[in-house]
Amino acid sequence: MARYLLTRAWQSALTLLLSTIVVFVGVRALPGDPALALAGEDRSPEALEAIRRHYGLDQPLPVQFAQYVERMAQGDFGVSIRTGTPVSSMLTTALPVTVELSVLAILIAAALGVGAGVIAAVRRGRPAEWLANGLALIGLSVPHFWLGLLAILYLSVATGLFPASGFVPILEDPVDNLHHIVLPAVILGTGLAAIIMRQTRSAMLDSLSSDYVRTAKAKGLRPRAVITRHALRNSLIVVVTVVGLQLGGLISGAVVTEQIFGLPGFGKMTIDAVFQRDYPVIQAVVLLTAAAYIVINFFVDLLYSVIDPRIRVTGDPA
Amino acid sequence: MTNLSVRDTNLPRRRVLRAAVAAAAVVCTVVACSPVSNNDGGDPSGGDQSAGQDSFGTPADPAAVKQGGKLVIALSAEPDALDPTLSRSLYSRYVFQAMCQKLYDVNEQAQVVPQLATALPTTSGDGRTVTIPLRPGVRFADGTAFDSAAVKATLQRHLTNARSARKSELGPIDGVDTPDAQTVVLRLKQPFAPLLGALADRAGMIMSAQALRSKGDDFASAPVCVGPFKFAKRVPQNSIEVVRDPNYYDANKVHLDAISWRILTDASIRAANLRSGDAQVADSISTQDVASLRQDAAVSVLQSQSLGYQGLTINVGNVDGVGTAPKPINRPLAQNAKVRQAFEHAIDRKSLVDAVFNGLHAAACSPISPASTFSSPEAQTCPAHDPAKAKQLLAEAGVQTPYTVTMLASNTPDTLRLAQALQSMVKDGGFDLKINPVEYSSLLDEQDRGNFELLQLGWSGRIDPDANITNFVGTSASQNVAGYSNPQLDTLLTQARQAGDVEERRKLYGQAVTLLQQDDALIYLYRQRNLTAVSKQIQGLQVYPDGVIRAAFAGFGK
Repeated sequence: MARYLLTRAWQSALTLLLSTIVVFVGVRALPGDPALALAGEDRSPEALEAIRRHYGLDQPLPVQFAQYVERMAQGDFGVSIRTGTPVSSMLTTALPVTVELSVLAILIAAALGVGAGVIAAVRRGRPAEWLANGLALIGLSVPHFWLGLLAILYLSVATGLFPASGFVPILEDPVDNLHHIVLPAVILGTGLAAIIMRQTRSAMLDSLSSDYVRTAKAKGLRPRAVITRHALRNSLIVVVTVVGLQLGGLISGAVVTEQIFGLPGFGKMTIDAVFQRDYPVIQAVVLLTAAAYIVINFFVDLLYSVIDPRIRVTGDPA
Repeated sequence: MTNLSVRDTNLPRRRVLRAAVAAAAVVCTVVACSPVSNNDGGDPSGGDQSAGQDSFGTPADPAAVKQGGKLVIALSAEPDALDPTLSRSLYSRYVFQAMCQKLYDVNEQAQVVPQLATALPTTSGDGRTVTIPLRPGVRFADGTAFDSAAVKATLQRHLTNARSARKSELGPIDGVDTPDAQTVVLRLKQPFAPLLGALADRAGMIMSAQALRSKGDDFASAPVCVGPFKFAKRVPQNSIEVVRDPNYYDANKVHLDAISWRILTDASIRAANLRSGDAQVADSISTQDVASLRQDAAVSVLQSQSLGYQGLTINVGNVDGVGTAPKPINRPLAQNAKVRQAFEHAIDRKSLVDAVFNGLHAAACSPISPASTFSSPEAQTCPAHDPAKAKQLLAEAGVQTPYTVTMLASNTPDTLRLAQALQSMVKDGGFDLKINPVEYSSLLDEQDRGNFELLQLGWSGRIDPDANITNFVGTSASQNVAGYSNPQLDTLLTQARQAGDVEERRKLYGQAVTLLQQDDALIYLYRQRNLTAVSKQIQGLQVYPDGVIRAAFAGFGK
């Protein structure tokens, strides 16, 4: 186990370094100049030069990269070119919003998806399965932004049940916080719920027709126990993998959802930073996202062994 | 059943690959997201209740307004640094309006009026000494006194800070004297008429000297000025909030407790927030949404003709980048004014604004707004829409028709609709217009490098005409992306910025417009109206021709 963890640690560090290079080169390959984006209408040559000098954009790329890595190693993400705010403080404000939104979206998606998937498998060929399949198809096909707009139109503008935008930190007012974030979380969770439902359903069908389920039934176990303790438990492996892999989709979905609902999270920050060519912000956001991916992948692997003890975690190649 | 085993030989490599692909996917997501919604292009605004009538809003009736409450304004773009020296975006002016008053302001008629000064400045006979009397008994939000020393500290910061965006606006200021606490005297190297216009904008916002000393370059994190409201908090990319300032000299005119600007870049989301009551004001409403908002009994739409313009710039000499000496370009459009005039004659501006913007914007043929004090009949002359003449001019220029021109334009929906309408319009005049849409930041980059034949862009406008003309058409000026040069025009513009007399300046700008239309390096198309949607719960919100939302003295109706 220790050896496995070590192997994974250096692999993760390498991936992170590669991501750093890709991100650094990637954002600079974008057409457009941050100094121009910042100077806007008042762009005299002196102003542009002063901006470039102030943010070190006049330095050769390798020098900029070295300075960037050095600062990053000290946990300093620099300051936003657009607002002059330290990026680290922007991250501390934005991160909890996106984390809360994503966690809530996953919980909603898992509850809906696993529930519907089990029902669809157990009630195969009956109206319940058709309904679940139909809903999943809708959940997969409808884009987030459109669902979001519809939700605002009907649940905010027409009925006033939920606020159309804005965010209240959970520590300030937990009830108001939930009121603001539930709708975006449901919208964000729909696509994922549909995927989870489909995967759960097919894995459950697989399990239900397998020998061990037949054995369990033959032993005289109650159907509920067969479904939950045997079939579902094995099926969850697939579900966990899917949820892990779908987190990427969740992050890009959060970009859209946050933009629509005006949530001050990571996604909104990313979009705005890209438009403004705010290099330090883009770099920090993308790197943290990459780091999150790496960590999530790691935990997904660990979860396998928790759910199914037959999967052992070792560092040895077979 | 999937029994994944970690002992699979390929797995570590696969996992690295997976993570790398994931990282690349994130980068791609970020890059590919660029064109989603960009309002920096500064497109929509402008409106017209009944063919060309502006509606600026009216001051609040104190008897009909409740005390207290928080006004939420849905803003289309994020303001940049809240520092009058460094700020460069139009949107920061909205926030400043509530918390950073200026020596001078602009009224509904786009005239300059005193704000923190008590009267318009007096200028010496040689035009080189400008004296400004200051309002007595005024305190900054931090309680310190507003006096000539604070004005001096602010102006000196504008002039000396390395990143100052105000330096060029203040022109040839040589020194600032403070004969007494209530008087400031500016010494100039030469007369500079646009100075008053600059002092009615961010250059005239006075900052607390104490805050400048303690905060320095970090002033934007907690700006301290004189205003009805004072800075409370900012959540980057999301919102800015100000609260009522008890130190304000005219505090009894302030009704609201707080104002919050919430950044919502999508126009339809802003409109939805307005309808749901989450916001009471939304700026930069799309011309597409105006009709439906007007049908909403709870919402009114304010519209003010802007001082800026939207136009077409033709690259006539920008080879080595903006600001460098023009060089010849071997293209008939660049070399021959007849080809450019032909293009202008092929455009029907009225049909264009009617078709693309539902008639809400106004056709424009010069950089001088009819709302400006410096407007004249010469400045408003418009070359006729005449496709036959366009074809004739092309024949005279000896070019083959259809003559192909490629236009660089922003990829916002409004600009693309405009480009397509232009494309079909100029066809009758013998032109084949190709459209090359790019994202706004890239557009700025390309235009400054001179990588274009024709491009569509605009300018939000300033009170003084010099700020709307010289920088764009003066030889080697910092925003002369056309690479255009006409020594006769340069002389006219220099005379105009040094002339003290309004009538004389008006005449000179009229002559300048005539020259501009002959050379046609810039073809002015239309003037936007600033369109602001306001809930009828709110009274006293106003938007003047400078496009700035004035919310400080508004209130919720009883």
